[in-house]
Amino acid sequence: MELNGRARPAEPFDRLDTLTPAALRRWWTKRLRGVLETAMSELPFYRSRFGAAGFDAKEFRSLDDLRRLPTFRKRDMLGRQAELQSHALGIERRADGRVGDTLTVSSGTSGTTFLTVNPRWRRRQGRSSARAHWWAGFRPGSPFVISAPAWHAYAAIQPYLAEFFDAPCVVVSGTYLPRYADRIVDALRRFRPRYVTMFLPMVFPILAAARRMGLEPRALFDRAEVLLVTGAPITAGMERHLKEMTGVGRIAEVAGATEGVLAVSCTERSGLHVVPDTCYVEALDPQTREPVPAGRRGSMVHCFLIPEGSVYLRYDTEDVITRDDSPCACGLPSPRIKIVGRWEASFRLGGETVVAYDVQLALEEAVPETVGMPFVISREGLNCGKLRLLMPEPEARAAALAERIVAALAERFGAGGEVAWVRELPLQFKGVAPVLSETQVG
Amino acid sequence: MTDLRDFPFYRPRLDGRGVPAPWSVEDLEDFAGAHDDPFAGRVRAGAKPRVALQIEATSEPPVWSSLDGRDLDAWAGAVSRLWARFGLGAGDSIAFFDYGSNPCVLLSSSIYVSHLRRGAATRLGASVICNDGVASMTARLLGILEAVHPSALVIRRDLIAPFVDALGTRGLPPGSRLRWAAVSEVEGAPARADAERLQAAIGAPVRRLLRADAAYLVSGDCPSCGLFHLDPAYRAEPLAGGGVALSARFAAECPAIGYRLDGAEIVGRGCAAERRAARLAWS
Ligand SMILES: [Zn+2]
Ligand SMILES: [Zn+2]
Repeated sequence: MELNGRARPAEPFDRLDTLTPAALRRWWTKRLRGVLETAMSELPFYRSRFGAAGFDAKEFRSLDDLRRLPTFRKRDMLGRQAELQSHALGIERRADGRVGDTLTVSSGTSGTTFLTVNPRWRRRQGRSSARAHWWAGFRPGSPFVISAPAWHAYAAIQPYLAEFFDAPCVVVSGTYLPRYADRIVDALRRFRPRYVTMFLPMVFPILAAARRMGLEPRALFDRAEVLLVTGAPITAGMERHLKEMTGVGRIAEVAGATEGVLAVSCTERSGLHVVPDTCYVEALDPQTREPVPAGRRGSMVHCFLIPEGSVYLRYDTEDVITRDDSPCACGLPSPRIKIVGRWEASFRLGGETVVAYDVQLALEEAVPETVGMPFVISREGLNCGKLRLLMPEPEARAAALAERIVAALAERFGAGGEVAWVRELPLQFKGVAPVLSETQVG
Repeated sequence: MTDLRDFPFYRPRLDGRGVPAPWSVEDLEDFAGAHDDPFAGRVRAGAKPRVALQIEATSEPPVWSSLDGRDLDAWAGAVSRLWARFGLGAGDSIAFFDYGSNPCVLLSSSIYVSHLRRGAATRLGASVICNDGVASMTARLLGILEAVHPSALVIRRDLIAPFVDALGTRGLPPGSRLRWAAVSEVEGAPARADAERLQAAIGAPVRRLLRADAAYLVSGDCPSCGLFHLDPAYRAEPLAGGGVALSARFAAECPAIGYRLDGAEIVGRGCAAERRAARLAWS
C-alpha cells in the first residue's frame, strides 16, 4: 500500500511495523539508550568496559554514538569464560532469583559459550520472534512442529510461538538427523501444518526419508503455505528448488545468531529485514571497524535489545553480511541484511575473499542444473589456489557437466577449477557447502 | 472424573466395573495403525491438543499423547519431586545428555515446551542445560561440565559408553562439581551394571530412572532400599500372573489408566528414606 509516496506493510504486526525508517531510528536510539543504561548499572562486564572507554550511557544521543563502544568477539568471551572458570560472564540479567535459569548453547569451531534465558526473556523475545514469523507469513491456528531439544536459541523460542499463534505444540521424539527423519515425516503427515520451520540441512534428509517410506515429498507439505528455512543463506536457485521439491508456495528465510540477532525475509525477497525489537545490526569493515557502504561486505556487529538473560552489546559475530538501508517495497522500515557466511570459513581466490555461498551462486547462474546438487570445496584444492569441488556423479553426461562447471568457475573467480566426482555426499551438504579436507570426505 | 467410555481406545477394553483391561505400547500401536489415529484413541473425539508428544518407545506407527497445561504442570510436579529427592536444589544446575523429547528434559524448564508454567528443575531454583542426545556431542558435554559446573547429570543409557570413553582419555574436567547422575532408558529402567559403570567413571552416585512415556511414568530408584519409589501422582496395582497396572492420576486429556508395566513388581511401603512411598522392584 502506498501512502504519501511510501509503501506501508499490507498486514503490519503492530505499530512498530508502520514507522518510517527515520522514526524507527529514533525508536532504536531510545531503546538502545535504555538497554545501555541497564547494562551499565547492572552488568559487571559492561560497567568495566564502558568505564574503560569513557562511555556514559546517559549521553547516548544517536545511533552513531555506538562507535564509541568497543566491539568484542567470541574469543574474548571464551577467554573470559576460562579466566572466570564459569559460563556466567557478567552479562546475564536475572529476572527472578527463585526461578532457575535455562541455558542455551552457542557452539562454534573456536569453542562453546552459554547464554541464559528466563521467563521474562521468553515473553519479550517471544513477541519479537512472533513478529518475525508474522512477516514470514505465519498466522494463527496451524500446528507448530518444534525442534526439541532446546539447547539452541531458536528451539527455545518455538514453544512460545506455538502459544502465541494458538497452535498445537508438536514435539517430535529425537530431532537429530538423519537418524530421526522418519519421525519428523510422521509429525508432518499427522499434523499437516500450514507453516513449517526447518533448518536447511534438515530439509533434504526429511524428503529422502519420505521417499523411502513410499511418500511423495510434496505429500508431506500438502497443506503448507510457508516453509521457513534457517541455518544457511538461501540463494534464489535454492529457493526455486525448495518450491519445486515441496510444492510450498512461499519459502521464507530466517537468519540470526544465538547472541541475539534475528532477521527474516519479506515478500519482496531481497534481503532479510532486521527484527527491530530484537536487535540493531551494523555491518563493519573488519579492519577499520567503520560501517561499510551499502552492498559491500562487512562483519556483523549487533546490539541485543531485550535486556533479559544474556545481553550482548556491540558483539561481532564474525559473520559476513551486507546491509541495505534503501526502502523496501514491502513497506517494513528496518534495513535488510544478508548473512552469506562466516569469515573463518572464507578463503582467498583470485585476489578476492570468497565464501561458499558465492560458489553456489556462480554455479546456479551459469549451470542451473547444479541447483540442489550437494558439493564440498576441497581444502587441498584451495591450498593450491584452485577451486576443486567434490560432487556426486550424475548418471549421465558427467564429463560435459564438469566442463561447464569448470568454465563457470574460471569465468567468475578467475581461478583454476576442477570437479572430482564422488559416489555420494551427505544430503545435509545441500545448500550449505562446507570447505573440507578430502580425507574427511572419504 | 474422567469417563473412559469417552475414549475409543478404552471403550472396548472396559469390564463391568469400568476398569480397562491392562494394555501395552503394542496395543496403542495396533489401535493407531488400525484406525489411522495418531493418538490411538486416547483423546476425546474433536479434542484439540495443546501439546502433542510423540512417544519415543512407539514406532510402527509412532503414537502421540496429548497434554494441556494442567497435565504438564502436574507431570512436571512428579519429576520435580524426583529431582528434589535426588538432591537438586536452589543454585544447582542440572545437565541433560538426551533428546529434548525425553519427559525428564522436556518438563524440566518452562522454556522447553508450550503451556508448562513451572519447570520441574527451574521451580526448585535450579538451572537447566541440555545437549543433543547423540554420541558425537560428547565433547560438548565435557565443555558443559567444565564451564557450567552442573551438580547433576541425566544421561541416556546408550550414551554412557561414549561418555565414559571420553572421560577415560580426558578425565573429568577440572572444576566439575557433579554430585550425582541418573541414567534413563527409552522404556523401562537401565540395568544396575550400566549405572555402576558410570558411577565408577565419575566417582559420584548414579541413580536409575524408570520410564514409561505412554503412562507418563518417571520414577527413580532409592539409595537406601534400591527400589523405585512411586510418586503419589501414580497408582500401581498388581496384575494376576505378575507385572503391574500403572495409572497416572493427573492425565485428563489423554488418560493413562491400566498401563501394563511388565518387569515391575509392587513391594510394600516402608522405606526408611520415604516411609509412605509405594515402591516397585524392576527386573
Ligand atoms: Zn521488505
Ligand atoms: Zn527407598
